[in-house]
Amino acid sequence: MSNVVHETLPSGIEYAVLPLPDRRVVAFQIRMLGGCCSDPADKLGLAHLIDETIDMGTTTRTGRELSDAFDAIGAGAGSGTGRETTTYTCSVLPEHFERAVELHADFLRNPTFPEDAVDVALDLARQELVALQDDAHGLLDKYLGQQACGAILGRHALGEPETIGNVSRQSIVDHWRSYFCNGRMIVTVAGAIEAKNVSRVLEKYFNGFGESKQAGRDGFAMAFTPGTTHYDKELEQQQIGIGWPGVEVTHKDYPIQQAVIGILSGGMSGRLFTEVREKRGLVYWVSAWSETPRGAGTMFMGASTMPERCDETYDVLVGEVERLSEDLTEEELQRAKTGILASHETRGDTTRARCSDLASDLFFFGKPIPIETKIAELEAVTVKDVRRYLENYPRDQRCVVTVGPRPLGSAGPSSKTQARASS
Amino acid sequence: MSNSNGKSPYTVRKLDNGLTVVIEQMPDVRSVAAGFAVKTGARDDPKELAGVSHFLEHMMFKGTPKREWQQITIDFDRMGSQYNAYTSEDRTVYYGWVRTGDLEKQIELLADMIQSTLPPEEFTTEKGVVLEEIAMSKDQLDHVAFDFLQEKVFENHPLGWPILGYDETLNPMTRDQMWAYFKKRYAPSNMMFVVAGNVDPASVMGLVEKYCGSLEAGDPGDERAPATVPTGVATLKVDRFQQQVVALSFPSVSAFDPRVETVSAATTILGGDNSRFFWNIMQKGLALRAGAYHMDYTDCGIMILYGTCEPDRCDAFLEAVREESNRICSERVSPEEADRVKNKRRTSLAIEGEAPYYRLTQLMDDMEFYGRPRTVGERLAEVDEVTPDTIFDYFQSLPINTEGHLTSVGPRTWPA
Repeated sequence: MSNVVHETLPSGIEYAVLPLPDRRVVAFQIRMLGGCCSDPADKLGLAHLIDETIDMGTTTRTGRELSDAFDAIGAGAGSGTGRETTTYTCSVLPEHFERAVELHADFLRNPTFPEDAVDVALDLARQELVALQDDAHGLLDKYLGQQACGAILGRHALGEPETIGNVSRQSIVDHWRSYFCNGRMIVTVAGAIEAKNVSRVLEKYFNGFGESKQAGRDGFAMAFTPGTTHYDKELEQQQIGIGWPGVEVTHKDYPIQQAVIGILSGGMSGRLFTEVREKRGLVYWVSAWSETPRGAGTMFMGASTMPERCDETYDVLVGEVERLSEDLTEEELQRAKTGILASHETRGDTTRARCSDLASDLFFFGKPIPIETKIAELEAVTVKDVRRYLENYPRDQRCVVTVGPRPLGSAGPSSKTQARASS
Repeated sequence: MSNSNGKSPYTVRKLDNGLTVVIEQMPDVRSVAAGFAVKTGARDDPKELAGVSHFLEHMMFKGTPKREWQQITIDFDRMGSQYNAYTSEDRTVYYGWVRTGDLEKQIELLADMIQSTLPPEEFTTEKGVVLEEIAMSKDQLDHVAFDFLQEKVFENHPLGWPILGYDETLNPMTRDQMWAYFKKRYAPSNMMFVVAGNVDPASVMGLVEKYCGSLEAGDPGDERAPATVPTGVATLKVDRFQQQVVALSFPSVSAFDPRVETVSAATTILGGDNSRFFWNIMQKGLALRAGAYHMDYTDCGIMILYGTCEPDRCDAFLEAVREESNRICSERVSPEEADRVKNKRRTSLAIEGEAPYYRLTQLMDDMEFYGRPRTVGERLAEVDEVTPDTIFDYFQSLPINTEGHLTSVGPRTWPA
């Protein structure tokens, strides 16, 4: 990644460019450093509502004109609200890059948030929350996040029924003014483009966009709460989620954590897939993953199974992590590392993935990290390192969430909604 | 899409045992994707064995004369392959996406697993996994709604079976029944092996001959019955869901039809990102999601107009869909609308050209539907031929302002 250009322009825009001259497209990503963690507590869901309405009209274009302008250059554009960022992604043919940036600048800088569009967005947000009740995995994610990450980092982007009712057009405008500016913007670009062209275009369209002083670079506090919570719901399967404290992306042990996830569920030969699914036939879905906001990290495992098999599934899940420190082999570790390393060349063949990786580097480390460094750190992980990691981050204080017809360890009928029990 | 030396990037050959081999050279990438496409899927399941194609796909990972099941996934993971398999109504696919240097190992492994022994001792355990997958699908509103739509629109036709099958067909299914199906349908003449990446075609062809040349030839038969789309109404009341999925289905063209790009443009104009449904239905708050979709099979197709809405908004949603259906059948779309869709298609074709896995799936489509690979230039030419007139003509021959087939799934018995 030696040819990456990374700098902050006088206007306050931090950007990085990875020129890939052989590619046929340019991918770029604009991360605004403000997501649902920045929502006022009584207006949860606000950042998501800004994302839903910001392109519904500008001072010079209607929402439809803006969408038509994007389509006229064939742009593949999207957006998403996260915990700490609101991200706008776009892929275009190189000749349309400047126009695509101009259109982004138009809606990010000059939104009018039309009243009728805000009313519809509020109604649809309410419907989204209802629809979430029809999404068993989505509910598990929400409840697990709340308990494992706490009141701020565990927020759900959609907010809550009672809080989106407090959101008005004026609160959307006020929040946008505070969180949408050059000082809170990170732009990354990859593909068939020269760095000098990127800086020229960014200066041309974003110069003078709000506050230029850098802000939003600090993380939020994680608040992990051990314990077991069951959410009663009529479902065919029981959803099980287990979390325990881990490390953040910038921590020296992060490559070890990546390897642990790879060993557990990096491929179909991973321990969870092998032991829970293939040997015992307990589940179709089983997985391990981590959540890593800035400055914090949590490890998770999840599975869904028929209610009568949830206790056995839970026991096998927990047992497999504990067994890791006893019988992990060099060969198994090497397999997990190879899976991660090979993805740099397979997934890395797509320009969008390269752009996204660069954006993550800037977000977490404040600078591009050479791929060679990442590879070397991962390759250096040993079995001994994994054992040390498992010792240093014990799992005796687990956070466990179940959603479905019966709580764990219950032979009888299901408990009341949100019945709480200790683990 | 030609190489710098002007030669075609494609190589297509049939081995003596009937296996079709397709190779695409992609000089600018560092990885390579390889996979089998078997022309068998849920529509080929005998009725009493509904779900056998999909269950078989699971069993293919369970053992060969050379490898026990754990060794198969270990060997995939040793090379860091991005691998998987899937079953559709028409096709079953097994693939791996690896670093270029691992291609031979990948081909050897795929060729080995396709010669599965379907180990009897793994059959019952894996059946449990599939039954869990069926249970999981019953908790997903969209999955329940789509299975119900297929069942009703293709009533009494194999396209109506759910890909996963039913508890009632999975439970009594035996390994011998699956073996008979496997030996018949996985004949090399019913399969193709596709490779896309930074490779030398001659040496790849040698590898495929080495590892796949001994696959035993056979006769898969060809017993696919054509399907028709009836009109009617079907509702499924499921109290535990909060939202209602409403869908209108109409006969459309098959994947072989030259109007496929026209249908694709029409569905994008109706139900894509910046579409008539988005602005006139979703942005009116009538439905959380609304879209148009073309399901194409080898011999038929359906156009589906669908949405997810609150149960008390079903009437308003359907009325709005009918209004848009009437409008697109009676008035030509504007040239600007058609151009916007075509521009998006150009970008998506450029993105597709970056990743061997994307090309692999497209090559499988092209070979099945056109009998040969198609260049990006050729596909772009087909996109360029789409005009307001071709879209209008399509809707004159296959209108969607008729009754159609209405399905509704959710907590409300609607229409009553």
